[in-house]
Amino acid sequence: MKENWWKIIGIVLMLFALIFGILTPLKPGLPSVFPFNGKAGNPLTVDIQGYNTHFDEAKEQRVWLKLGDYTLGSSKLEATSSNLLRATFLTPAMLPSKDSVVVFSLVTDNEIDGASVMPSAIFVKQSVIDSAGAAQVWPQNSLDNLHQQAGIMFPYRNVLGETIRNLYYHVSLWFAMFIILAVSIFYSIRYLNKGNMLDDHRSNALVSVGVLFGLLGCATGSIWAKHTWGTWWTTDVKLNMTAIFMLIYLAYFVLRGSFQDEIKRARLASVYNIFAFASIIPLLFVIPRLVDSLHPGNGGNPGFGGEDLDNTMRIAFYPAIIGMTLIGLWIADLRYRLAVLADKVLDRI
Amino acid sequence: MQVLTEIIFLLKKELLLEWRQKYAIGGILLYVISTVFIVYISTGEIRPPVWNILFWIIVLFASVNAVVKSFVQENSQRQLYYYQLAHPIAIILSKMLYNIGLLFMLTVLSYLAMTLVYESPIKRVGLFWLTIFLGSVGFSITFTFVSAIASKADNSSTLMAILTFPIVIPILGTLMMLSANALGLIQDTAYVKDIYTLIAIDGILLGLAIILFPFLWRD
Repeated sequence: MKENWWKIIGIVLMLFALIFGILTPLKPGLPSVFPFNGKAGNPLTVDIQGYNTHFDEAKEQRVWLKLGDYTLGSSKLEATSSNLLRATFLTPAMLPSKDSVVVFSLVTDNEIDGASVMPSAIFVKQSVIDSAGAAQVWPQNSLDNLHQQAGIMFPYRNVLGETIRNLYYHVSLWFAMFIILAVSIFYSIRYLNKGNMLDDHRSNALVSVGVLFGLLGCATGSIWAKHTWGTWWTTDVKLNMTAIFMLIYLAYFVLRGSFQDEIKRARLASVYNIFAFASIIPLLFVIPRLVDSLHPGNGGNPGFGGEDLDNTMRIAFYPAIIGMTLIGLWIADLRYRLAVLADKVLDRI
Repeated sequence: MQVLTEIIFLLKKELLLEWRQKYAIGGILLYVISTVFIVYISTGEIRPPVWNILFWIIVLFASVNAVVKSFVQENSQRQLYYYQLAHPIAIILSKMLYNIGLLFMLTVLSYLAMTLVYESPIKRVGLFWLTIFLGSVGFSITFTFVSAIASKADNSSTLMAILTFPIVIPILGTLMMLSANALGLIQDTAYVKDIYTLIAIDGILLGLAIILFPFLWRD
């Protein structure tokens, strides 16, 4: 029991990440609004779709159209259900902008859900452009007195929605894969130094778990991509990098399979493992310069920071990485022991 | 110092060997020319972006084929003899230097063959020559080292391809960027950074090859 503490920690952390990551609700958000365009000067009535919101129970429901510091409150509000709100705005004929089509954000606020923002929500067209005149008419309000929402919740992001939880399982798989492959490099180096066959068995077991995690990472990413990007696989940089990784390690297995002599096999596999891993590291620096990525944090996409990875998400994310790594090391340990036992049996024969 | 004399001696040996087996190098040159001709027959007119891709693909395949023989052509007894005479670092460095020359020549020949059938799309000649030189260096370091691994197996040419292609992708990607610059396809003022990246990758791989090769030859 004493030497198994890390397996227990792995299971506990993974279970925690699963339970906390799946059961914690998302913050209220605004997935869509319809119609999303209108004409300045005409009354504009829009249906606001909410997610996890309580429009009908809220007593102090407020809605604004927002452009910079200019805000326009709604003149009429009608909540038809907890997730549907009909708001009417009386837009002035002149908008506080020099463009003929002005894009407003939509802000809702009530005492139960707190404030939610939908950026670039409504397009309003103006026929008379007079931004100086509009500045007189439009009320300025920096919206300080918004409600804060209480409780532990994950952030709501448009498009991502519930799939934001994939971060804990998909991204942590990649982190775990990198750590496990790095450990396998450590054992490869140790094999070359000491020539102990057990180190090669460990290294091989770790590589196979690394590849398994890579495939699982691909699968979880693919399912997520189907929901958010609308396709199972695209020519995204990180997907290509994954493919390269898989090619290298599948080649590693072919290389191992090419030798009958186990000492020769162990030596060559160790050398290739180190060389391939080192040659792939520059990829992390080179490839981002070659093309943009669809992944968060690349090519102008919002990164995992700020609202995309807040402290609530970190509570599930970091344990998931550690838990996934420990479970991976455990699987590798089992494979290693199996290989050693098989060796013993073969020796006896 | 002793390693240096050994390297020079081994380089002379490589050249002599190549001179005596002229059909081997002739085969590689013919390989390049026939590939270019097949590409020409099957494509007709091509635009510079396609030229860029085809050029580097042809060079990649020809290089793998040229380098795969570096450790295979001599039998293992004779290799054991070399290893007793010379330091393993001298052996790998001499092979790499020799392959740099071979691959550079091969790349130039591919370029000439391509210019023969297509119009040369190159706008910045200096950058292009620098690119193909750096390409030969990068390919030579990677391929020579992996061919040392692959030569130990029976199916060395298959193994060579599957082991090197994924490894060489960072080098190939950077080369294509630089070459696209030389062709005027993109106007990237930061290409100097790409050159440094390439030199850094080459440096890392060279260092690793020197560290790891002594583990490789012992049988």
